Amino acid sequence: MSHPAPEELLLDYAAGTLAPGPALAVSLHVALDPAARRMVEKLGALGGALMEGEGEAPFDEALLQSTLARLDGIAVESRPPPYVPRPGFEWVPEPLVRHLEDGMRWKRVFGGFEEMRISLPGEHRVSLLRLEPGRGLPMHRHVGEEFTVVLQGGYTDSTGNYGVGDFAVGPGPEQHEPIADPGEPCIALIVIEKPIVLTGPFGRFLNPLVRRGVI
Amino acid sequence: MLSPDEAADLIEAIAARQDRAAFANLFRHYAPRVKAFIMRGGTDAETAQEVAQEALIMVWRKAASFDRGRASVATWIYTIARNKRIDLARRAGRPAIETEDWLTVFAPEEADADKSVLAGQTYTRVKELLGGLSADQLVVIQKAFFEDKTHTAIAEELKLPLGTVKSRIRLALGRLREALEKEES
Repeated sequence: MSHPAPEELLLDYAAGTLAPGPALAVSLHVALDPAARRMVEKLGALGGALMEGEGEAPFDEALLQSTLARLDGIAVESRPPPYVPRPGFEWVPEPLVRHLEDGMRWKRVFGGFEEMRISLPGEHRVSLLRLEPGRGLPMHRHVGEEFTVVLQGGYTDSTGNYGVGDFAVGPGPEQHEPIADPGEPCIALIVIEKPIVLTGPFGRFLNPLVRRGVI
Repeated sequence: MLSPDEAADLIEAIAARQDRAAFANLFRHYAPRVKAFIMRGGTDAETAQEVAQEALIMVWRKAASFDRGRASVATWIYTIARNKRIDLARRAGRPAIETEDWLTVFAPEEADADKSVLAGQTYTRVKELLGGLSADQLVVIQKAFFEDKTHTAIAEELKLPLGTVKSRIRLALGRLREALEKEES
């Protein structure tokens, strides 16, 4: 069973109102899930129809002339070549490429998984996580919203099984413990509004570090 | 008035031979509409006019990336205008996203090219469907698209429970999806 993003979130994405972190998560889901892509295209058509029906604001003909004059210095760009992932980065969908900087490396994090932080403006913490098969994330619960998109492999938690392209919305206050499926390591983009709260035996000691973004 | 096919011909003329007359035609039709769209989000007329000009210049630059099989011109220009609105928000010191991201959504993709022949009809059909939405549904959809608001903000503004706004959006989107999927199958 596949896990699509909620339609309201696709609407906010198509309308351009999402914050940078959630927008990146939805863009990766859209890149990987043909049904989501078709829905976003329909929502784009909706935006186009709304704009077309909105009527015209007064516009000065002189502005057209000045715009035409500016075009002298602006070339029509040729169509960009289709996206080809770099070797070793086959799991990277096109919208993620520009967020990966040269020299970025996986960093081992307490709890047996690896992380690459992605720097984006806004309030969210955006990370790529990599888990070896059978490994889990520490038991945690969500304080704010959390969005997850699977980019490679898969994982299973109490809410189901998630594969490439699947989208998970943080389920609120309940606890859950995702475990990576057998096969390739699971790689996922995680966008967290507020730091998560660890609920395992060491959680009490680690939470202050989580809050400060140390781990 | 510009038909969807005529508008697509104009963009292709820009891509093929940097056709300035074609650009002028597009500009006369779309610049005032983009300006109106930007003003709906609360932007003043002068800034909205600049944004519209920037958006139409982007249409010129990116004309070769337009694919009439994937999106109508109105849809494509809408996405460009929306990106420019996001740029504007960034200039105002609010968090914004990398606007090129949005263009990739409408980039041609071989994988489901077979779905693409319907782009023109999709647009025409969506236009008709909008006329069939209830006033309640239309207002939440318009606010989402025009006023740069998430559904949470819309709920606050309309003083409605978030659940009500979500269900109106779902109903409106559900009607949209059903009608379009019926045609595709």
